[in-house]
Amino acid sequence: MTTFASKPARSAADAPFYRPVNDEVEVFRAAARRGLPVLLKGPTGCGKTRFVEAMAHELGRQLITVGGHEDLTSADLVGRFLLKGGETIWVDGPLTRAVREGAICYLDEVVEARQDTTVVIHPLADHRRELPVDRLGVTLQAAPGFQLVISYNPGYQSVLKNIKESTRQRFVAIELGFQPADIETEVVAHEAGVGIETARALVKVGAAIRTLDGAQLREVASTRLLILAGGLVAEGLSLRTAAQSAIVQALSDDPDVVRALGELVDAVLPRA
Amino acid sequence: MTASDPKSADRFRFLASFLAGRSLGVTEAPAGEAAHTDGRFVFVSAGRSATEQRREVLVQGALLGAGSLDHRLVRALRGRPNVARRYLALEVRRVLAGLAAQIALAAALRPTEEPTTSSADESLEVARSRSMVAAPPEWFGVIRPSRLLAAPAAGPSAPASNRDLRLKFDPTDAPETQDEGDEPGERSRLLELFANPLSSNRLSDLFNKLLGNSRSPGDGPAGGQMAVRSMRRVESVGSSARPLPVPLHFTTSSTPGSAVGVGGALYPEWDVFNDRYRPEHCRVIDYLPSSTPDVSDAAVQHDEILRRRLCRLGLGPKVLRRRPDGDDLDIEALIDLFVDVQAGYSPPEQIYLERRKLARNLGVLILLDASGSATDTDPGGCSVHDHQRRAAATLALTLEELGDRVAVYGFRSQGRGAVRLPAIKPFGQRFGAAARARLNGLRPAGYTRLGAAIRRAGEILKAEAGTPNRLLLVLSDGFPYDDDGYESRYAEADSHKALEELRTDGVACLCLSIGASTPVDALHRVFGSASHANAPTLADLSPRMDELFLAALTELAAPQTRRPRASSG
Repeated sequence: MTTFASKPARSAADAPFYRPVNDEVEVFRAAARRGLPVLLKGPTGCGKTRFVEAMAHELGRQLITVGGHEDLTSADLVGRFLLKGGETIWVDGPLTRAVREGAICYLDEVVEARQDTTVVIHPLADHRRELPVDRLGVTLQAAPGFQLVISYNPGYQSVLKNIKESTRQRFVAIELGFQPADIETEVVAHEAGVGIETARALVKVGAAIRTLDGAQLREVASTRLLILAGGLVAEGLSLRTAAQSAIVQALSDDPDVVRALGELVDAVLPRA
Repeated sequence: MTASDPKSADRFRFLASFLAGRSLGVTEAPAGEAAHTDGRFVFVSAGRSATEQRREVLVQGALLGAGSLDHRLVRALRGRPNVARRYLALEVRRVLAGLAAQIALAAALRPTEEPTTSSADESLEVARSRSMVAAPPEWFGVIRPSRLLAAPAAGPSAPASNRDLRLKFDPTDAPETQDEGDEPGERSRLLELFANPLSSNRLSDLFNKLLGNSRSPGDGPAGGQMAVRSMRRVESVGSSARPLPVPLHFTTSSTPGSAVGVGGALYPEWDVFNDRYRPEHCRVIDYLPSSTPDVSDAAVQHDEILRRRLCRLGLGPKVLRRRPDGDDLDIEALIDLFVDVQAGYSPPEQIYLERRKLARNLGVLILLDASGSATDTDPGGCSVHDHQRRAAATLALTLEELGDRVAVYGFRSQGRGAVRLPAIKPFGQRFGAAARARLNGLRPAGYTRLGAAIRRAGEILKAEAGTPNRLLLVLSDGFPYDDDGYESRYAEADSHKALEELRTDGVACLCLSIGASTPVDALHRVFGSASHANAPTLADLSPRMDELFLAALTELAAPQTRRPRASSG
């Protein structure tokens, strides 16, 4: 069974906090008006999911999120028969529900899913906008509000797993990167509930780690990681302890790398 | 290895790289030398405390990052130690003041004096003039113009040149530290052949004088980012990219040879000295040995540990029918159930489909060195070839029993026109008595043209394995050699290149060197740090065979540079 979550549109007061950097919001709005599917590219923890949440909220649509994993089958997306009493009952999968209800369906890290699974979304992602449910023998026409959003982390995937050309060419691609320092500081301060000075110090650490150019680290410090560290600071930990446990230890298991990162973080953080 | 020492200066490498804005290593200078940098490494004074070393790294890294050590400026300091010292004092103050806003450590450590200059050029002016400059404290270290100028000017951001792609053999982890002004080039391997360890090196000295062996200063590993194992597929091709030459197949399905299992192609070979491929250089043929094997000689050792270790590897999802629980309804089972229920039975309700990781999806091609070099014998009278042959048999048997696709090919060569891969067990056949006897009947002969054999084996693996995960397992002493000049650096580079090509194509490679006495560093150069292991017998490797397989396979899954790891001997 797959895990998926759906969120009803929320009120303006608890709108997800998202600070646009480039023209991604305009592009998404335009794509939403046309019902075009969107492919979000970007490193892990740079705000892809948050962006979709914010857009769904702005557009007043329901958001259904499915996390991709390597055992995700097409039945997990479309739906399956379950047995109840002496009868079989059809239960809609998240994708089918989104198609029927006109919601935004967000497939997170879609390349993780098996390739035959991603093919299910093809008819939905082009002009047909329909979902053939072969087990029911019907083809569902997508409701007007339906939009497909998938996310994809180009640097992270292996040579063995890549998104198919035929899949990616159906999508409007929006690239999200790490935000500029000012915006990121604001985001960290807001999300973690820490002061602007603490946020600035953490963003500085993040920026320093990002300049290391990937040679020794598989992933750089994401905004999410900085927010985590900020959260620890808000809970009363010192900046150094928080950075050590939420950033340094999270990025690597190699004791050499951990030590080297520790030195860097220690040098960049303000002296106690 | 110093890397595992918690006090090693290596721990400052991220700090230095961050400060300099490019990849830098940190290592200890020989005792008694002051801290300095050569543009690729920061040398900190040996035996100091971490605090002292840290501030030395800070100074040297910051100088590099601020461009104070650009060739243009450093050239003016050459041969003028006094000016260099004054320049250093001015620049460090200027640079640290600039960094203080950015980096807390710089703010904490910087000297109290305010900087008197505002740019590197101005510092140079002042340093040359007669005005007073406070002497630099000892931890500022020194500027070594000759070492800085010997390093290549281009940073990692410069576009990759031919030199970046060239394989380097001197280990960059621990650069040799030489005295100032004395910068000899790499030792020539050719000259090493003439060097006599016992008497004086008169002959090689003579050659040295005649030919000269210093290399041009720009010939270093520019960039330092282009680690060969960190290759990735890219979306767009840069302007300096060149296509890989393709093999020319001279046997196809329409030629008569294919009917009896003969395949072959002309393969390119990497010429490390000229930085290019030699197209259609090697003729490689694989064939089924036609001689009738002696079936009585077909015993294969079993290795229970190996079997247990490998059985959990390479599993893919498989659909199981008629399960009591699962993801999906098995309609057939459901219909049967209903028929049974209607007929008055009440069978167990096993009506679900379940996907479990059971299917084997690993294809392995075992490439066995059948060259003459494998005839050295150990004290027990067992030759390297015997060891490797037995290991191949045990591995093939184990993998086949576990349900993996497995093939065994031998390889030997006799010059570039005759690289042969006798097929002992092709993918399509069982590892039965005939194949076992064929394996046991394999006699070592000829030479080891490893690169061509790897290219061919990789192609067979890609074409015939039919599994998502593919592994090329080379059983060899890892010492490529052929009689037409295919040796030492050329041969190692070609073999390495062939493996690199395979990894780019998603084929994992692992070399097991069994019973051979090849030095670890030779294996290291050919196979990369993580993808080889050596041991006296296969049984010594069995307990960690799953680790080795996984390491080779995950190297594909997530390309990353690995820190060299000492492999057990």
